[in-house]
Amino acid sequence: MTVVTIKRCWTHFAVVSLAITLLSACGDSGSSKDSVSASEEAALDNTAEVQAYYAANTDFFTFKTPADLPADLQWQSGEGLPEMGSPQARKGGTEYRALQDFPRTLRTAGPDSNGSFRVYLRDDVSMRLGLRHQDEFEFVPGLANEWAIGEDKRTIYIRLDPNARWSDGQQVTANDFFFMFWFYRSPYINAPWYNNYYGTMYTNITRYDDLTFSISAKTAKPDADARVLELVPIAEHFYKEMGDDFVERYQWRVAPTTGAYSVLDKDIKKGRSIALTRIKDWWAKDKKHYRYRFNPDRIHFSVIRDTDKIFEAFRRGDLDQSGLNQSEYWYEKLPDSDPDVQAGYIHKAVFYNQRPRPNNGLWINQSRPLLDDLNVRLGINYATNWQLVIDKFFRGDYGRMNTAHDGFGEFSHPTLKSREYDIDKALEHFAAAGFDKRGPDGILVRETGERLAFTVSTGYPTLKDVLTILKEEAAKAGLELRVEVLDSTAGWKKVQEKQHDLHFSAFGVFLEMYPRFWEHFHSDNAYDKAFLEDGSVNPQRKLKTQTNNLEAFASPEMDELILRYRTSDNTDEMIDLAHKMIEIHHDSATFVPGFYQGFFRIGYWRWVRYPENFNMKHVRSATQFFVHWIDEEIKQETLDARKSGQAFEPEINYYDQWK
Amino acid sequence: MFRFNPQTLKKLRRFRHIKRGYYSFLFLAALLVVLCFGELLVNSRALLVKYEGEFFFPTYTAFHPGSDFGLDYSYEVNYRELKQHFAGEGAGNWVLMPLVPYNAYENNSEDGVFRPTAPSMENQHYLGTDTTSRDILARLFYGTRIALIFSLAFTAWVYLIGISVGCAMGYFGGIFDLLFQRIIEIWSNIPFLYMVIIVFSVIPSSLSVPSRIGILLSIMVLFSWTGMTYNMRTETYKEKTRDYIAAARIMGASDTRIVFRHILPNVLATLVTFMPFVVVSAISAITALDFLGFGLPPPTPSLGELLKQGTANLRTAPWIVSAAFSTLVILLTIVTFIGEAVRESFDPKKFTVYR
Repeated sequence: MTVVTIKRCWTHFAVVSLAITLLSACGDSGSSKDSVSASEEAALDNTAEVQAYYAANTDFFTFKTPADLPADLQWQSGEGLPEMGSPQARKGGTEYRALQDFPRTLRTAGPDSNGSFRVYLRDDVSMRLGLRHQDEFEFVPGLANEWAIGEDKRTIYIRLDPNARWSDGQQVTANDFFFMFWFYRSPYINAPWYNNYYGTMYTNITRYDDLTFSISAKTAKPDADARVLELVPIAEHFYKEMGDDFVERYQWRVAPTTGAYSVLDKDIKKGRSIALTRIKDWWAKDKKHYRYRFNPDRIHFSVIRDTDKIFEAFRRGDLDQSGLNQSEYWYEKLPDSDPDVQAGYIHKAVFYNQRPRPNNGLWINQSRPLLDDLNVRLGINYATNWQLVIDKFFRGDYGRMNTAHDGFGEFSHPTLKSREYDIDKALEHFAAAGFDKRGPDGILVRETGERLAFTVSTGYPTLKDVLTILKEEAAKAGLELRVEVLDSTAGWKKVQEKQHDLHFSAFGVFLEMYPRFWEHFHSDNAYDKAFLEDGSVNPQRKLKTQTNNLEAFASPEMDELILRYRTSDNTDEMIDLAHKMIEIHHDSATFVPGFYQGFFRIGYWRWVRYPENFNMKHVRSATQFFVHWIDEEIKQETLDARKSGQAFEPEINYYDQWK
Repeated sequence: MFRFNPQTLKKLRRFRHIKRGYYSFLFLAALLVVLCFGELLVNSRALLVKYEGEFFFPTYTAFHPGSDFGLDYSYEVNYRELKQHFAGEGAGNWVLMPLVPYNAYENNSEDGVFRPTAPSMENQHYLGTDTTSRDILARLFYGTRIALIFSLAFTAWVYLIGISVGCAMGYFGGIFDLLFQRIIEIWSNIPFLYMVIIVFSVIPSSLSVPSRIGILLSIMVLFSWTGMTYNMRTETYKEKTRDYIAAARIMGASDTRIVFRHILPNVLATLVTFMPFVVVSAISAITALDFLGFGLPPPTPSLGELLKQGTANLRTAPWIVSAAFSTLVILLTIVTFIGEAVRESFDPKKFTVYR
């Protein structure tokens, strides 16, 4: 999951937004001819090219013999961790789900591949070398049977499971990992982010034999094992034809997978539906941590563009489950008193999870006029009534974020609290910035007549009500917020070009050990050459666009801490540095921490079964780890009961063991 | 002094006799007047406050901070609370609130949660509240006002541009006509809705809401004036060849005089009959844009936004969609009635099938 990181954060939310769906509705047609032309094209063979690349980069691609393997390696295999999934799980049945948009491509890399369906093609389904245990945070075997950390703390030695097979029957070998580096570094995939990540984050791959190899990460970090173990191989034999036309050639080809599910060609009904089918005799079907997961034989996805229609389809029983995270769904549209819930046909569940939280909040662009004034920013912090939004709009279910880095365990700051809504303090700080008089409409003005007004933009059309509530409350403190609601693409573009005043958004979450600071707070990402040699501010510095430093945050002190944090291999030192940086960030008041959702809520028909504890500590959604199963007998029983009016025991469950 | 010619007077008389259209017209006119003074009917600001022997009329003045009325805050006073506060004090101070004591923006939840609440006389949300507890009547009221003003302004501009260009094309003819026809053909083939969406998405939001609405208006006008030109062009062509125009020209009348004094009054009938339908299309367009989320910037009250909320909460809050839908239907029906009546009364053939 580490690999997909920043790019994916925004798409998570993009998928939710209705506006993008409307726009994309016009973009689906015309793709059918690609699959035809791909098969008609002459077959290529890039083996020679790949081998030449290996030969030209001997520092990176190294070939050794088993005898060269260091002797004193401590092999581990995640022994003794409790099994994921439930032994009661039954295999079989069909699960019905919905997609808001048909996948633009079945490639997992390159243009348009970053959509919501990729989790089913790769991220959540493909086997990785190791899998992070979702209760214990340790790794358990995946494609690798065992692994060892080298003396330099950044080289991980891998022994592949000899049973590991691609879905077309070929064995998974070290070659597929060599090829993975070639693949992601290749210009053919049209994905600069991957080119950069695989080109810079790893320094070496060494082959000892078919099943034994090592990969070195760039720096010796406490989580160097994660950087390697979470890698997903690329099938060398399948991508033989890869060349300049990769994007078109592989547009609709289903790549072989090491995971439990694959897409069959006959199930691709463009624009309408697509399905995952469980692979017969999947190589890991009896492997621990995998045998009780991936239970339904088939998962069928219908394309339904409108969120409300998806919900109605669920209520009819056409879909098996539906997320109920939004309060209006949980309390109004499917209340506990609903006849289907009361009759026990539909179950409701709330599961409290623990994982890094998306940092929802207002990102303040310091490079804009007025916002470079600390007092104005402090005033904005005090004038933003998130608590009201949480209490009244989210009905008290959500929590208030305290910093931009909550949910990272020890790495998150233990004591810092976000600034509460306080009109008096806000007015005090605004007055200190010269805004001490209210105009005829109640908005503060300076003596020069300048109004205290900022644009607050967002790329989440579904959350526009949040901003209108904040606007009304901010007006009480004499601050005018002009709400600008954009679709997700336009919103993202706006912040990437640093055109925003205040922007409401969140960076996505993926389960990792410690938060990132360089992307958001290093001066390299704020300005071109922010400081001169002597450490003073460069008067000619230019704002840097296309980075995730949304605050134009530039401070030599922070830069130095970030550098130490990035090079440190000591967990305690990193925690200490993280706390210091979070404090500096808090003091700068460039971010107004918003809300986080400490749980997920879902409604599901009675025939969808979950393990006793429902799910695992760190999961992001109920279905992420496929621990549920479909019981066809119960389905028939429930459908019959619905007809005859027979009721069951209602089930509304709160799983707060990780709250 | 401008005087209607007898022909026009006859047409107006006929319009008055078509009861359905005439009463619709009176209703719409009354509605417009009411909407113009809407702040006196639907507003969170009081009509009249008596405090310490002094009278305040806050409706159209600058805001009054709470401290003006002995409260301890510096932001705008909440007059509903003030009313209760005064009533509780019993010191002879009082507040007179408008009929609907809410504005279109404030989130006023009765039970501590922002959610749709059903219509209720008791808490004076006569049409209920929307998903963030804003009063639907207030939002409908101001939404309708904006839609109507918007569509009238839209009609005026479309007519102005359409008539000028169309008239010029018909009157001057020749190369000018040929050139403009081609330009209009190209221009009118640009898909209007997409252009509005694209252009409006790049408008900077730092502009105030009224100016953004103004920009939206001009974009819509820019892509809508072409339809009018063709009617004007043919009408002008027809009139131009009539004898009275030739007579005027022989008598030495200037082009301007011929166009404005002779041609325009004679083609007026055609123009007037179109007018209500242009209004209808403008209201529909702005509502559709809002519904899609590309129209008036939030949180501006609008019919389309309410419709959207309503369809999303069809099952749980049917009062949202029914209020917005009925308003839209009534509005469009009335304008259409007027349009039919106008068309009929301006029809030279008195006895037609449209009776």
